[in-house]
Amino acid sequence: MRSPMRGRAGRALAALALVFAALLPGAAAPAAAADPVVLRVGTTQDLDSINPYATVEVVGFEAFALTYNLLTDFGENAEPIPGFADSWTREAHDVKFHIRTGMKWSDGQPATSADACFSWQLSLDAIKADTNVGLGYIDPNVKDAGVTKVDCPDPETMIVTTDDQSDRVFQTYVPILPKHIWSKETYKTMGDAKFTAPLVGTGPYTLAEWKTSQFARFVRNPNYWGPKGFEDEVVIQFFKTPDTMVQSLKSGELDYARDPNAQQLKALQSETNVKTVVGAANGWTQLAFNTYGTGTGKTIPGGGASTKALQDAAFRDALGYAVDHKTLIDRVLGGFGDPGDTIVPPVLGQWHVTPDKPRAFDIEKAKSLLDAAGYKLDSSGNRLDKEGKPISLRLVMPDSDENYPKAAAFIKEWYGQLGIKLSTTVYDSDTLTSLLLPPEGGDPKANLAKYDIELWGWSGNPDPNALLQIFRCDAIGGTSDSLYCNPEYDKLYDQQLKAPSADARHQLLAQMQNLIYDQAPYDILYYDANLAAYRTDKFAGWVNMPSNGTPFFSYGTLNYTVLTDATAAPSQPPAEASAAPGASGAAASPGASSAPADTTNTSSGSNTALIVIGVIVALAIVGGLILANRRRTGGTEEE
Amino acid sequence: MGSRYLGRKLSQAALTIVAIVILNFLLFRAMPGSPERILLRNPHITQEQLEAVRARWGLDRPLIPDQLVDYIASTATGDLGYSLKFQGKPVVDVIADSLWPTVLLIGLGELVAITIGLSIGAYAGWKRGGVVDRVGSGISLILYSMPYFVIGMPLIIIFAAGLHWFPTSGMTSVGGRPTDPIGQLVDLGRHLVLPLVTVALGLIGSYSIIMRSAILETRSEDYMTTARAKGISDVRQLRSHALPNALLPMVTIIAINLGYVVAGAITAEIVFNWPGLGSLTVTALSARDYPVLQGVFLLLSVAVVLANLVADVVYGLLDPRVRS
Repeated sequence: MRSPMRGRAGRALAALALVFAALLPGAAAPAAAADPVVLRVGTTQDLDSINPYATVEVVGFEAFALTYNLLTDFGENAEPIPGFADSWTREAHDVKFHIRTGMKWSDGQPATSADACFSWQLSLDAIKADTNVGLGYIDPNVKDAGVTKVDCPDPETMIVTTDDQSDRVFQTYVPILPKHIWSKETYKTMGDAKFTAPLVGTGPYTLAEWKTSQFARFVRNPNYWGPKGFEDEVVIQFFKTPDTMVQSLKSGELDYARDPNAQQLKALQSETNVKTVVGAANGWTQLAFNTYGTGTGKTIPGGGASTKALQDAAFRDALGYAVDHKTLIDRVLGGFGDPGDTIVPPVLGQWHVTPDKPRAFDIEKAKSLLDAAGYKLDSSGNRLDKEGKPISLRLVMPDSDENYPKAAAFIKEWYGQLGIKLSTTVYDSDTLTSLLLPPEGGDPKANLAKYDIELWGWSGNPDPNALLQIFRCDAIGGTSDSLYCNPEYDKLYDQQLKAPSADARHQLLAQMQNLIYDQAPYDILYYDANLAAYRTDKFAGWVNMPSNGTPFFSYGTLNYTVLTDATAAPSQPPAEASAAPGASGAAASPGASSAPADTTNTSSGSNTALIVIGVIVALAIVGGLILANRRRTGGTEEE
Repeated sequence: MGSRYLGRKLSQAALTIVAIVILNFLLFRAMPGSPERILLRNPHITQEQLEAVRARWGLDRPLIPDQLVDYIASTATGDLGYSLKFQGKPVVDVIADSLWPTVLLIGLGELVAITIGLSIGAYAGWKRGGVVDRVGSGISLILYSMPYFVIGMPLIIIFAAGLHWFPTSGMTSVGGRPTDPIGQLVDLGRHLVLPLVTVALGLIGSYSIIMRSAILETRSEDYMTTARAKGISDVRQLRSHALPNALLPMVTIIAINLGYVVAGAITAEIVFNWPGLGSLTVTALSARDYPVLQGVFLLLSVAVVLANLVADVVYGLLDPRVRS
């Protein structure tokens, strides 16, 4: 008798082999010539909202900047370039912007100065009412630029009045929204306004589809006024783990990967057709000391720092000698980053200064400075504060960065050598934000600022003010996480806002940077690096923005409009090719352009071979089973 | 089956679900961090604005009984609230969107794993000490101890990044996706292969090991000795006597596992960026989207309770001794 079990297994296996063969790439329908060219960008940061006033993430800013123009966009080095306005002139406190003639929204409606005035007025209304639009990340741009009034006398003119003459008015990250769609919204309601795809914009690509936590798809805006990139669509894909993102880049499913970790970046460096970028980030990672009471003498009953030593600049200065920034770069960041010092990152080269009196890593010096400042060791080796209590500090950090706990472990070791104990606790970002708030944060009972040191980071804007304002007295209860207050600093801040020239502002900023460095409410551990990798076999023309940054997720979206077809590159420079025919392939097209065609051919060839082998193996297995089954059937005939 | 037995099981399940609903409510209120801070995510907020938000979301009312009663009433009517992360979409809709990708992946994975796992286990147990037993049990043990991440990542590296046979992640292609139904089905199939193999491999181990020991147990039973003494063939001994009895304990295990189909294999979904309930749970956790988390936990708990109920009922049908 024939075994039905084996027969079934054989048939199931054969069916499985057939399904498997049908799903292999060779069997899939070939891509039609009319298929859109898609630029695929991967990131592990999830898009939180497509409402520009309800996003706090970098990817959210990238998404709205693709769809909506800013009044002035950012050039290759973050300089203002034409955006919604194509030209501008300044007369004293008034900046007159000319809005593009004949510009249209992606839905065909005319785009005029009324749209720009509507969008800017939202922020001005919120500033007047001493509140924010939505989550409050857009209107501070307008406030910081000193804008007091906007006026649109005709469809092609917008006049912005400022109370200073700085260039910050050209760096305002305010998306120009279509008034004909959003006119019913006010500064109070815009944050909750429901933005649903497809969106209408004047940017190069408009959002067509958004699947939360999966992808956001942008299609080319047919009415876009600027240069057109090679890609017809841009897809930003959200990954839960960088490992999968990196594999997708290697397989060619992604064209760009944002923020692989240091090990992954190093591994990608040897990959063919992949270029890696280590861009300078406009931000830092810091230790913020809880200095609440400094400059104000205030205390928080039942809260605040565990020791008054943290209010003493000499104590904080001494701790600064005990942290080896170089080791943190090497051991925590895998070598990608720069040692931190002052509060304006080096990427803002025009404004950054190195400290006049830099601290170098020296544990012995830290010890002697602590002794000299009156913080002695007891017989058990514990460092005592001036009240005679052993100093034991509580370090808090968010769970958002895998490097934070590693850095904290080093700091614990170094502080330990000074006789200072350090306990570390990780919180989610929201809980930590609440924990850091002092009574000025709104709820005097709940906001107790019960921490000693916070390990976290900041990222800034093209103008340093966004980072500088963190140290103002009035930032306490808001963005301040060192709770530091120094009227002298506030005075310098106000002066630099109205500085008559860039040189004058630079001098004031240098004073501010040195003041904070010397007073040390912060120990800036490192200036982070933005890591990225992209493929060179599909798109060419990648440009870092700014030049020491990364192609995407920095300022503006210019780079999306300048990409070209990598496979077409070899035919582009005919002059060199005819001059030196023998060497033209390598010399004329840099690196990748001639390689991809070969790679693709080899890969599809090997795939076909593998498919054939796979099918043969599957058939052999099925055949073997049937044969074995027959033999076996003979053996069990007597049943 | 007696109606008393069925009634008892049903009331037990209903009571458990009520307890779960209450626990679900209390658990999320006991977590640190205030929901209004999470809703606002704005450190510049004033006390007045905070209070306005609390009033708007009903957070200013007493937790017990007001908020609890509201919660139970709305849950009973299928209203699980609105997601914070998904642009204010109803939680029921958010969960529904993620449910079928998980049911597809884990459901198929379970099916493949049950078929292959039970077959290997049964054969290995029946031919104890044979090649299949030695090799199969060894492999089963290895697979049993491997997390999905360890199984999935090499598959991606070899078959997606290396050989380019299948896509690395996602459920469908984005941009340039086929428009015809067959093309879309093939596209879905191509995306499904690697995650499905991962889930199936991860589950085969446990089914195979448990089935093997169940078969071994039945082999020493008196009825098997009788069957052998009657001269019944090897295959019939296995199919008609050993398998039905060995499958009895498997019913419970399979039912409980099917309950977890709803929860999804979180790590498998994460590795392959599969947009199912596992990914949703992680997204909701990292966004502190408590309404969605509550919904997912409720769904998972109810699914496990229902799967157990089904197991009890089926067990009762299969084995009359249980009913007594």
